[in-house]
Amino acid sequence: MTDFETDLETDLATTNKHARFVPGQPDMWAFVLFETLVFTAYFGFYLFYRARSPELFLHSQAQLDLHIGVFNTLVLLLSSWSVARCVQSARAGAYQPALKDAFLTALFGLVFLVSKVVEWARQIHIGNGPATNDFFTYYFFLTGIHFVHLLIGFVVLGVVVYQLRSPMRRSQELIETCATYWHTVDFLWVLIFALLYVVR
Amino acid sequence: MSRARHNPKRELWLAWWTLVVFYNFFFPVFFVVTRVQPPPSPAWDIARQVQWFRAHHFGILVGFAVVFLIAGMTTMCNALIAYSMRRMSVSPVFAYSYLVMYSLSAVPGLLLLCIALTVGALRPERDPELIGWIYDFAFLSFTGTMGVFLIGSLVWMLAILTDKNRVFPKWFGYLNLCNALTEVVVAPSWIFKRGVLAWNGQIAWWLDVVVFGFYTGVFILMLRRLIQREDFGTGPLPDLAPNKVAAL
Repeated sequence: MTDFETDLETDLATTNKHARFVPGQPDMWAFVLFETLVFTAYFGFYLFYRARSPELFLHSQAQLDLHIGVFNTLVLLLSSWSVARCVQSARAGAYQPALKDAFLTALFGLVFLVSKVVEWARQIHIGNGPATNDFFTYYFFLTGIHFVHLLIGFVVLGVVVYQLRSPMRRSQELIETCATYWHTVDFLWVLIFALLYVVR
Repeated sequence: MSRARHNPKRELWLAWWTLVVFYNFFFPVFFVVTRVQPPPSPAWDIARQVQWFRAHHFGILVGFAVVFLIAGMTTMCNALIAYSMRRMSVSPVFAYSYLVMYSLSAVPGLLLLCIALTVGALRPERDPELIGWIYDFAFLSFTGTMGVFLIGSLVWMLAILTDKNRVFPKWFGYLNLCNALTEVVVAPSWIFKRGVLAWNGQIAWWLDVVVFGFYTGVFILMLRRLIQREDFGTGPLPDLAPNKVAAL
């Protein structure tokens, strides 16, 4: 038996074992839980500091451009939609459309990254740096750590493309695991958007 | 005959117990004996820093004497983790790079803090300006360099996720990523003197330590399970027999 056959069998066995449990590796859902807990702590600290100086936070929040926040959110929601389409196509065996959707997801991710960098540059230009006050420390920290998660997301999308490209690979479980990661990054952004831009 | 005399698992258990003994000294020394953790504020003025050294004089000298005695035990811990990667189906490059990285990281991540604080505590009558310098040097070398360990976590993660010998569950690979991501947030402690991102901040220190403590506990248990399952073969690591799992 070749290495490839062994891998495929292991993969199929794992897929069958977890087929009716959650999409992708259940292990990735453990990661979702860890990260949600860590971000819950970040949000808890943010709300604690916000409760200590509500006026400063309100005044600083007013300097954020809500339009950029909404645009960021829409772009990431679209990226989640395209990655979901990618999973759906891969499930149906339509690997070329799945590949296109993976690239579309990367494109949305890239648009988000560029718009975030532009937003940071604008804030710094008008004098709001990471050390300006507690709100902007949180603003740069939360958007920055999310940015790092999104950068990892590109590696994850690279795994999806690698899986889809060759008929020798195409592990549906791995594709779904990667999509779960991407959705998590989107989900975390929605919470960050709500806290930083909307809740006032 | 020779098999009866030579039990390689015993050697792995020696490494594992060394690791357990090390952490049983490590945490009490830092949190109870020397009381240098949780770290004091980077925003303090020099007079307060000098006072802090005076108040911690005896604990620092005694506690770090213990650390210098046990610091070498970390090599067994690193070796055991590298061993786990050698048991995987992945390239030995992962194990070697982890070993080298963690061996070098012990200098900024552990020893520099201990040496600097011992120097500060040794002569409390020293010029306060120098004491202030030592204070910054010590805590920045410890908290500020936590990111050095980040790549090590990512190396272990990559090895676990690409391994086909089922040495560790995949969720533990993802936990490595989670640990690495909380180490990223320590980097701003080079900039902030107060608030959540300072070297004693709620995010840069408290949350990081909670995640690191949990991660350390989990990896000690994971290594224990690895030794129990080890068959000294080369293929997939066998599961523990159900009756053995129940007995654990």
